[in-house]
Amino acid sequence: MKGKDLVLHALKGGQCSTIPWVPFVGVHGGHLIGKNANEYLHSADLMVNGISKAIELYEPDGIPVCFDLQIEAEALGCKLGWADENPPAVLSHPLSGLSNISSLNPISPDQGRIPVVLKATRELRKKYPDIALYGLVTGPFTLGLHLLGTEIFMRMFEDPASIHELLDFTSGVTRSMSKYLLDAGCDIIAVVDPMTSQIGPDQFTEFIHKPVKSVFDDIRQQSKYSSFFVCGHAQQNIDVMCKTGPDNISIDENIPLDFVRNICQGYGISFGGNLQLTLVMLMGTPEDCQRNAVDCMDIAGNIGFILAPGCDLPMKTPIANLKAVGSVIRDSYQQDIIRTLEHKPDKTKILNLGEYGKTDRVIVDIITLDSESCAPCQYMVEAVKEVAPHFEGLVEWHEHSIKNLEGVTFMSSLFVKNIPTICIDGKITFVSQIPPRNELIRAIQSRINEKLKIRLRVKQGEILLLGKSSEEIAPLREKTRQAIAELGVTIEVREETDPLIIQSLGVTQTPALVSVKYKIRSEAGQPGTDVIKEWIKEII
Amino acid sequence: MNPEELLAKIANCVERGKVNKTSPYPPDLKGQDGADELSAQALVEGIAADQVLSLGLVPGMQIVGVKFRENKVFVPEVLMAAKAMSAGMKHLKPYFTSGAVKRKGIFIIGTVMGDLHDIGKNLLGMIVEGAGWQVVDLGIDVPAAKFIAAVDEYPGAYVGLSCLLTTTMLNMEKIVTEMKAARPDTKILIGGAPVTDDFRKRIGADWYSPDPQGAVEFLNKVG
Repeated sequence: MKGKDLVLHALKGGQCSTIPWVPFVGVHGGHLIGKNANEYLHSADLMVNGISKAIELYEPDGIPVCFDLQIEAEALGCKLGWADENPPAVLSHPLSGLSNISSLNPISPDQGRIPVVLKATRELRKKYPDIALYGLVTGPFTLGLHLLGTEIFMRMFEDPASIHELLDFTSGVTRSMSKYLLDAGCDIIAVVDPMTSQIGPDQFTEFIHKPVKSVFDDIRQQSKYSSFFVCGHAQQNIDVMCKTGPDNISIDENIPLDFVRNICQGYGISFGGNLQLTLVMLMGTPEDCQRNAVDCMDIAGNIGFILAPGCDLPMKTPIANLKAVGSVIRDSYQQDIIRTLEHKPDKTKILNLGEYGKTDRVIVDIITLDSESCAPCQYMVEAVKEVAPHFEGLVEWHEHSIKNLEGVTFMSSLFVKNIPTICIDGKITFVSQIPPRNELIRAIQSRINEKLKIRLRVKQGEILLLGKSSEEIAPLREKTRQAIAELGVTIEVREETDPLIIQSLGVTQTPALVSVKYKIRSEAGQPGTDVIKEWIKEII
Repeated sequence: MNPEELLAKIANCVERGKVNKTSPYPPDLKGQDGADELSAQALVEGIAADQVLSLGLVPGMQIVGVKFRENKVFVPEVLMAAKAMSAGMKHLKPYFTSGAVKRKGIFIIGTVMGDLHDIGKNLLGMIVEGAGWQVVDLGIDVPAAKFIAAVDEYPGAYVGLSCLLTTTMLNMEKIVTEMKAARPDTKILIGGAPVTDDFRKRIGADWYSPDPQGAVEFLNKVG
């Protein structure tokens, strides 16, 4: 099961062998096609292109058509401030200072940017019949705050009747907007009401319960599904949110996922979230994102859970980070690796392997999860095991299972990031894929050849031919060449005619031949004076 | 009512968000004097202005700050308390001007460039003001240059940066870097929904608090 079926199955509280993945792509869709937030959120075509790109890259099971909580507010007369990288912000509150809300008319599907979103929904529906489309609507309280400004908080105490009236109106707007989006083809309506995180459960029950419940009831009557999105510190309200009767609750990283799971499951409501948006998704590495995704899945379990970022993805969330989440969610083997690698060794335990692989033999290391339980690891080890004897003792191989701390340390020291990996003389050579026999042989042979070349290039000694002139040296030169050719070795031959140099070598009569043998006594170290003295004694 | 009782009553009005006599909230104090009338009465009865502030209004707001941190009250209650506080404060204005009452220090706040959200910043401002600090609010969408100019205008002031959007966290980083380069001695506090202490360490700001009360505690400690 995948796509829409999988999302709806989870949404209804079903058990899923693969967790559904719903990246909340908002203005990030603009980023994917090189458009700023302002252009993107004004064009159905750009939204379709941006979401299509996201579907192609991230392989989601579900996706929102548009993530902009200002659409209804704008249609109702709020002025918006636009930015290049964010959804717009509400700058004016048409009801601020007014005692009644009768000045506002209900919305219609042709107001403001509503037609743009509806057109994008219809086109995406046609293009992607098998992906769950989320229609996002502004929740009654957040819309009320847009319309009235922060006065809404004080009026809850000073003039509660006016707030009831306002939220009655805004919940009508939310219901209408939900219906437009469902009619255009959305499968799920997400009621996004982040400002409810700012109030307590008593106020929620008094003011928010009825307006929000009416939205969820209405959606259910249309035989469609709903989710209640609240980002921010809303932990105090999860229980009262469940009481409003959504099919699903989605929260962000501010709320522990196990807390939400326990409460939602008590009400038979599915839940979703809570990939960390900033430090992980925006600023972390693909590995960080995968680890976070696996953590979320491990905490949530596979019953009625949808993996999603905590809120609207920041515009410039790295594509690689989202792709990494999309890939790990369907790869239980990769998930196992991440779980095993959870306890990375600290930096002090990284081995210095700068000199690794400089012995005469070629060393093949296979970094595995564990070749006994992990099939790809097993095949990789078998491939090496089979090929090694052909090199008649020239090749030495080792398996390093990252289930042991030594294995993890070794892996980090060689900067290996994927499992399984084959390193030849400490160099990452085959990543994740088991190499065909011939390729493996070729790679090992090429390393043997390389080492041989290095060995041949190393100057082990030289021959000096000394004489008064080139002519005097000529016969000796010829014999030396022949000797080298017969031995089949490479050795440098130098000629010297400077009498002072010849004298310095202790030679009194020419032509003469001096052989010089170099011996490396110390490399990358500081031998003591006594040791150096011994070496000197050997050559005097 | 003796002075102690009167000051305690002022504190209670601030804590409960009782603004003035006509205010319907909280219902159990309906028809009674609020922070507005009681502060005026205290001054008339000869209680020093700085005592009205430090023993009446500020303690009330402090209790609200602690309750807010403990998730016992939420934004609406804090705003009501701030409204009551400011109703009392308006009677103290002349004493601030004359110098009879001194503030603890100056706290410059603003939402960072690119971010137009002000609820968090306003809450912080009210609570810090309620703790006896003078708050200079630079508003929203504030660039580094404006913060630096404000620091020059109010030497020794502390600076609080707020952001709500994940994307403007990066602007917060730029502002902290520019301010630390230009005015290295200025202490910078950061806060806002997406911000964490790890992020603070990363960008080199001096203090992070997930709630306004944490900022007050920091300011009272260093100020």
